[in-house]
Amino acid sequence: MANIDTTQDAVNEFNQYVKPVSLWADAWKRLRRNKMAVLALWVVGFYFLLALSAPLLQSAGILHSYTEQIISHQNLRPSFRPAGELVIESLELRIAQLEENLASREEDSNSTYNMATGFDFAPAAEIEFDDGEVDEGEAALEEVTEEADDTYYGPTYSDSVVDELERSKAEVEALRGSIHTDPQHSKVYILGTDDLGRDMLARTIYGGRISIMIGIVGTLTAVLIGILIGSISGYVGGAIDNFLMRFVDIMYSLPYMLVVIIIMSMVGDKGRGSIVILFVAIALISWLTISRVVRGQIISLKNSEFVEAARSMGAGTPRIIFRHLLPNTLGVIIVFSTLLMPSFIMQESFLSFLGLGVSAPQASWGTLVSEGVRGMELRAWQLFVPAISMTVFLFCMNFLGDGLRDALDPQSKNRG
Amino acid sequence: MARFFIRRLLSLVPTMFIIVTLSFFLIRLAPGGPFARERDLPEAILQNILKRYHMDEPLPKQYLRYLGDVIRWDFGPSLRYRDRSVNEMIDTTLPVSTALGLTALSLAVILGVNVGIVSALKQNKWPDYTAMSVAVVGISVPLFVMGPILQMVFAIWLKWLPPGQWLSDHGLKAIILPAVTLSFPYFAYIARLSRASVLEVLRSDYIRTARAKGLKESVVIVKHVLKGALLPVVTYLGPALSGIVTGSVVVEAVFVVPGLGRPFVQAAINRDYTMIMADVIVYSLLLITANLVVDLVYGLLDPRISYK
Repeated sequence: MANIDTTQDAVNEFNQYVKPVSLWADAWKRLRRNKMAVLALWVVGFYFLLALSAPLLQSAGILHSYTEQIISHQNLRPSFRPAGELVIESLELRIAQLEENLASREEDSNSTYNMATGFDFAPAAEIEFDDGEVDEGEAALEEVTEEADDTYYGPTYSDSVVDELERSKAEVEALRGSIHTDPQHSKVYILGTDDLGRDMLARTIYGGRISIMIGIVGTLTAVLIGILIGSISGYVGGAIDNFLMRFVDIMYSLPYMLVVIIIMSMVGDKGRGSIVILFVAIALISWLTISRVVRGQIISLKNSEFVEAARSMGAGTPRIIFRHLLPNTLGVIIVFSTLLMPSFIMQESFLSFLGLGVSAPQASWGTLVSEGVRGMELRAWQLFVPAISMTVFLFCMNFLGDGLRDALDPQSKNRG
Repeated sequence: MARFFIRRLLSLVPTMFIIVTLSFFLIRLAPGGPFARERDLPEAILQNILKRYHMDEPLPKQYLRYLGDVIRWDFGPSLRYRDRSVNEMIDTTLPVSTALGLTALSLAVILGVNVGIVSALKQNKWPDYTAMSVAVVGISVPLFVMGPILQMVFAIWLKWLPPGQWLSDHGLKAIILPAVTLSFPYFAYIARLSRASVLEVLRSDYIRTARAKGLKESVVIVKHVLKGALLPVVTYLGPALSGIVTGSVVVEAVFVVPGLGRPFVQAAINRDYTMIMADVIVYSLLLITANLVVDLVYGLLDPRISYK
């Protein structure tokens, strides 16, 4: 070491001054060397910022409302052009189709009609619950659109086609008239709209808000419970340790997502979809791993000299646990938390996907993906936009977690 | 060994007892019930229905009755579908879920271990990088995103595989997409796990000894490295199986597989008490037995572990 730092008192065995490096500074240095982890950190930061500032962006007019439904704007594909133009374009396409069908119909009135590309038809992989009571409002809406479609197949087929043709033409005319005066039609949907005419970008960002919030709150709860149970179990030992750990063992053998599903369905129609209950349900069960890890760490540390020293100076049990033992396990806890968060987000989306999670008007990434799956053949963006946003976030959280593990715990053996 | 096995087998009984008891009271204590839906039900009829299912009795009596039934492996009638008993439902759906789950698990283990070994042997070369990138994707992409995307690509665009439906219509082809989807995250994790443990074992003394003896590289890998490196993978089988069990609920929904998952979610929404209970019992039994098997295999692989 050529530079002698005279402001520090630490001295190494060659009588040279050295600057003491804290564990955190050291870990930060190692983390920064990991390019992927740094990139992941930036991306995660960006997501957090976006999630936090969503209401601000919306009130500033940059982001559209995520609940406002503009029926004439439904199912618009991602584009930088204003919505009015896109609507006119799709209506004109529809008119051309109808006219073509009408013409071929007149040519050969006996041929069986095959609607080439309708606006709404049921995808093959539609997930239907036998009960049909999953979301009554939505079902009712689908019924309406289906009804409109059904009429084409009726006996007065050409009449209704002519009707629709007229209607579409009138709509196009009306749109042409109002496109420059009505501010609604100058909206730009960069990522398209969903089947109720809501902006996908806004919905994905707000969905991310809910998902990330669930991730953070769930992780915090799980970590707090886990630390408490784990440290008591590890430090006190004996019968208490035995009891707590048998309890954890039994909880482990429960198929735990199934228990969460039961809890979510039990709280009834009123409570179903309530975010608070979701938090409680997920957090109640997910502290198990962290409590085991903390217990292991505490057991391995509790007989070390610094604990003995603290005890000899008269420190009580809580003080030893919280001031001496826990700070030493903090690295492991941080690593686990970063890896726990994506798993929370996945579990919440899992429930939302099954219709047991967050309910309308709120939406999480899971809800958005499950909505997108329904129409994925025709409107792939409704699946891909939330799916990719979610995957990128999970990807980065996992990378960050791995990076932190390598940085904080370089000797770690269980590097998966 | 035999004594250990019997002791572990006996320890399943209290665990199952606790699971049955916990879930029984958890479900019963919640407000509302399976018949709360039928709004205009006259009181007398409701009473009759409750009586038929013995639900008018005090809770402890119901509990004891249920416990007795479960011991005889009788889960009672479904409260929602009056024409089917829960046992019939389980008998028809369990084989499907088991087939799917086992296929997924074996896919995950076989592919995962092989990919892990290859990556470790070619550390920091392109096979390693490719495999580990795929693995990270596998861990980060949720099942319900993976499923629809695979379905879209292979069933709808390329039309190679059927999008849904089960064996009756498409034969064995129908199991490919759901099984691959279900196994992907566990394949990824097992690949990473076995790569890390192979790397560690490769550095150990007994491998150096084996090489110093002049053993062929293939013998070193198969007989020495593999045995040591498989231990973490075996430990992970328990959690992996529990994940596959839960994941199958989603995969069955995406690919319209007539397994145990769909009736379970359905029962949870409908408050079909007997169905929920039966599902939880079957799933837990599967998991606990699997964990027992994992423990035994672990002992066979690692001579340092002795069962007393």
